[in-house]
Amino acid sequence: MWLALRRARCKRRAARTPLAACWSHALPRGGAFCAEVPFLVCDGEMSSLDPATGALLSLGWVAIEGGAIQLGSARHYLISGAQAVGQSATIHHIHDRELARGLPAAAVMTAFLQAAAGKVLVFHHAALDIAFLNRCCERLYGAPLLLPTLDTLRLEQRQRERRGLACAPGALTLTSCRERYGLPAHAAHNALLDAIATGELLLAQIAHRGKNTDVRLRDLR
Amino acid sequence: MADANNTPAVPQPPVELTPVADFLAATLPFDTLSPSELARLLPTLAISYHTRGECFDAGSEPCGLRILRSGAVDLRDADNTLLDRLGEGESFHIGGLNAERGQVQARVIEDALIYFLPDTAYQALRQAHRNIDRHFSSQRNRRLRRAARYQPAANALLQRIRDTMSTDLLTVRSSDTLQAVAEAMTQRRVSSALVLRGTQLEGIITDRDLRARALTAALPADTAIASIMTANPETVEADCSLFDATLLMTRRGYHHLPVTEAGRLCGMLTTSDLILARQNDPVYLVQHISRQESPEGIKALLEGMPGLVVQWSQSGMHAHQVSRVLTAISDAVTVRLIQLAEAELGPAPATWCWVGFGSQARAEQLFAADQDNGMIISDEARDADAGWFAGLAQRVCDGLQLCGYQYCQGGVMATTESWRQPLQRWQDTVRNWTATPSPAAVMRVSIFFDLRAIYGDDRLCAQLQQVMLQEASRNSIFLAALAANALENRPPLGMFRRFVVERNGEHRDAVDLKKRGVLPITEIVRLHALAHGIAAVNTEERLQALTRAKKLTMGDGRNLADALHCVQQQRLQHQCQQILAGEPPDNFLKPHGLPTLAREQLRDAFTLIDESQAAVRQTYRAGMN
Repeated sequence: MWLALRRARCKRRAARTPLAACWSHALPRGGAFCAEVPFLVCDGEMSSLDPATGALLSLGWVAIEGGAIQLGSARHYLISGAQAVGQSATIHHIHDRELARGLPAAAVMTAFLQAAAGKVLVFHHAALDIAFLNRCCERLYGAPLLLPTLDTLRLEQRQRERRGLACAPGALTLTSCRERYGLPAHAAHNALLDAIATGELLLAQIAHRGKNTDVRLRDLR
Repeated sequence: MADANNTPAVPQPPVELTPVADFLAATLPFDTLSPSELARLLPTLAISYHTRGECFDAGSEPCGLRILRSGAVDLRDADNTLLDRLGEGESFHIGGLNAERGQVQARVIEDALIYFLPDTAYQALRQAHRNIDRHFSSQRNRRLRRAARYQPAANALLQRIRDTMSTDLLTVRSSDTLQAVAEAMTQRRVSSALVLRGTQLEGIITDRDLRARALTAALPADTAIASIMTANPETVEADCSLFDATLLMTRRGYHHLPVTEAGRLCGMLTTSDLILARQNDPVYLVQHISRQESPEGIKALLEGMPGLVVQWSQSGMHAHQVSRVLTAISDAVTVRLIQLAEAELGPAPATWCWVGFGSQARAEQLFAADQDNGMIISDEARDADAGWFAGLAQRVCDGLQLCGYQYCQGGVMATTESWRQPLQRWQDTVRNWTATPSPAAVMRVSIFFDLRAIYGDDRLCAQLQQVMLQEASRNSIFLAALAANALENRPPLGMFRRFVVERNGEHRDAVDLKKRGVLPITEIVRLHALAHGIAAVNTEERLQALTRAKKLTMGDGRNLADALHCVQQQRLQHQCQQILAGEPPDNFLKPHGLPTLAREQLRDAFTLIDESQAAVRQTYRAGMN
């Protein structure tokens, strides 16, 4: 409801952009079973943790449909035209040389919004990625992303709080969360591989909530 | 709205899914795919997560191959019998399993992350790659098919009578007396005679006729045999199969059947010929060996051995039974070669004994056993007799080599002078070994402490063994050296019970089952047996004796026996598979390719060896290294 209201306010500014096209798809209903909800698990790499100064360097995603990650839908884009990567290359292993082979942000966002249409976005620690994506959208389409979003980190945190478990520092990293569900170790640091790892975590979280068919989308909020 | 359609297509950069590809590339049978083929497979995969207790059965949608990325799954049949337990890297196609064996259910027993290959992609892959197709056709069917391929050669009953019948016939005339015929039969050592008129078969007379119709009726010795013979006996054509002849003989209760060719008598078939024709029966193989007149003859007999062992193994014979039979066969070969040599050299100038060492002594031989043997000569033998013994040793060892028992690399053979000695000198040698036990020397001679008389005067062997046990059991320094030897070869398990495989070379990714499995066990058990003066040599008998004497707990004894069985069984199966594939049998097994259950058993066996070695270190080498 709230999302629809906010969209309505921005609708004119975003008219005739890929963002508006994306919005035109029906939103998954909260009462839908998770196994039937299409998700798009995403991850981005940034040149800095501050959306005001940093830039999105790459974006990777993969779709979950029918309760399974569809590897055929996996995409990985490097984004060109951002300022120099500089020091952050040590974290995400993307170098200026590689970014030169990337696509302009507008093209990547177009592909992203096409993939996201009608789906619930999933991130591990959504706030950061959403902040960068919002900035990108504002710049390109004059409106923020405004898509339904799920955060596996917050999900894990709430799950643990509900069971009265403390969240020690580091207990909610992607790696720690995956360990808790017996998922295989994953060492990758590239947007797509992190997205897949996040998708696997979401499937594990849903499975542990109950039988796949029993959990509804709203149970994850 | 319209913009959605007008949006230009965005170019799609290639997607790298290296970890997934790497995982599949290390998984059977996908390891045979090229990187580009693998890359084409990746987009068809879907990843799902399943908690413990979830089940898949024939109705589970969608249909396809499920590859375990992590977790574990049990496959059970309709009777809830465990068929297999799958772990990381293993896969199942529940639809296929059900079509093959009916009502198979897969149950997640440890939360599982599954890579799913849809049926269309799976079938296309099987069509395009013979290796992959072969991998997925059920293991059991594959074994059966291969066993079946071996059947024709095995079925001795389909041989023609001509190849089995005796042609050395005793013929008599109907007017001959009972006395004359009985004498002729005794002299020729046959149990029947054929009665001819000209070239025409008139009748047959057997031991039984002489007993039942002549002696019982108290006929005079000069009675003509015409009165007791079976006239116009039934005959069989030489081109018929042994199967036909067996049928006829069992139906009519015949023990002797004359064989004709185009109506003319040409041979005789007896029940014992039929039994001997069953060459694939190990008992008769041993008998056949003892009838050979030359080493070449023995060699020819043994040529079919590998095929036979495969058959025995496939018909359910266990590895320890197979090794008993193989040892019986090498004993028979040795004995026959000695007899042939004696026939050539004349009788022995003094009493002596041929002894087998190592696996032959323990009756634990499998394929491709080396020869390890020696001679113990009576102290009464004179120096001049040495030539006879050397000559015999040479003939027997050469004969063994000819028959496929390779010369011992370390020279542990009767042809080596130090392994062919009078008893007194043997006993001195043993005292020397045990008095100054250098590790190298102990390793070289440890094989000697498993010895068994194969031929000749076994009291010589027993006397030597007695000295050996006395010297060994009271010498803790010698036992410590023997213990060091038993600890030399560690089982191939690393941290977290992972298999430690050869990193490179010819046997990359493989485990040496003999060196890392069989040897450590036999060495540990030998050490315990020597320390406690136990005379048994076979590992299992040693363990039983140790348990009876309360030197080992029942559990430890049984565990070591089980571990040996398990390793030997894997070794035998591995070697059988190599023979079926036309490769020479060796001891290098790739644990990666084993079914999970077998792999877990092997892992358990190695873990046990490791624990036993730790116990040996405690008991025999406390305070050392």
